[in-house]
Amino acid sequence: MNNPELESILKKARLPEISEESLEMLPRRIVAGLKRNDPPPRAARSFSPHLAWALGLAACAVIAFAAGHRRGRMETERTPAADSLASAKLVHEMMAMFPNQIRAIVQDENGGLKLVLSDTGDVPASPPLYVRISDGKHSSSFVTFSGQEIQVDGQTITVLADARGGIILAGNQFVWSSSERTSAAGHLKIEARNLGTVLM
Amino acid sequence: MPALDDESRLVELSLSGDPEAYAALVRQHQKMIRAVTFRMTGSPDDAEELAQDAFVRAYRQLGSFNGAAKFSTWLCRIAINLSLDWRRRESRRAGLHSKWAAGVACENDPGGGFPDELSRRVQEALNRLPAKQRAAIVLTLYENQSHAEAAKTLGCTEATVSWRVFAARQKLKRLLKDLPHEKD
Repeated sequence: MNNPELESILKKARLPEISEESLEMLPRRIVAGLKRNDPPPRAARSFSPHLAWALGLAACAVIAFAAGHRRGRMETERTPAADSLASAKLVHEMMAMFPNQIRAIVQDENGGLKLVLSDTGDVPASPPLYVRISDGKHSSSFVTFSGQEIQVDGQTITVLADARGGIILAGNQFVWSSSERTSAAGHLKIEARNLGTVLM
Repeated sequence: MPALDDESRLVELSLSGDPEAYAALVRQHQKMIRAVTFRMTGSPDDAEELAQDAFVRAYRQLGSFNGAAKFSTWLCRIAINLSLDWRRRESRRAGLHSKWAAGVACENDPGGGFPDELSRRVQEALNRLPAKQRAAIVLTLYENQSHAEAAKTLGCTEATVSWRVFAARQKLKRLLKDLPHEKD
């Protein structure tokens, strides 16, 4: 058998038929996954360092001012509610500055604040939700919105608000509900409340 | 085959965050990508899963698509490399779990679903090739890429592709020698 004869045989080989249903379903499955999880890819190509620096500096200035202002006013309070994030005014200012862009405002245990922004302003308007999670050694608090996914200590936690204003947290290894405090949250101590009535 | 202008527009719309535009790109190219992943795996289920992974990865990397190559060539590169990674993982798994080795060996039997015996025999022979030789045959013979293009896709030199194609042909000739073929 020479090369053209071999190629002729190889090219005659056909593939198993793919059903119309399968051809229809694959694009739908892919798009459903993209809508649920993925950030838009534009950022990778049209990333503007100047714009990013400007936004970053502006955000840092606001956060530093707000956090310092808040800390000065509430220095003597040591309860978890003393978080800068528990301040309706701070959250309100952030939301006004980045409408429909804030996925979360995260505060670490040292009081450092981090803004998690959407590139496209696709975060639906909904009441902000305050959450504080502590494992006894470390704690983290954040303000976010129903349907957002938050990374805490390497774990992805989905935050949801129910119809009665309660808050549900779903992590890789636990589910916690503000209305049923007995839900399995392991060793984590969780505090959550809806800030919506104050801000909306 | 979509007009290039349409394709560029769909890429632009996808970059703007329009998932339906990306769905249109998937519809246009899914048969080609599924063919590539099937030739590489010999399994319809794995081929579908790899095709899906390839489209998802392509979406995430769409910002890096600069139009230097055709969109289909760029997609094909992603699908081939995912298939090679998949093959490496499968081999490693077979090595670590000897009780599964028999099951993996059975992958060389492409099973049913083929329209005729020749098609089944050819896939069976492709499955017996080392993955990199198989990739070289899939790209140059089925996707009509030049050895230079295939080299770019596989991240190796053109000479390496030529060698892999040569070695693959030798083995395929042995495996398929009993099939009737037209003499030149």
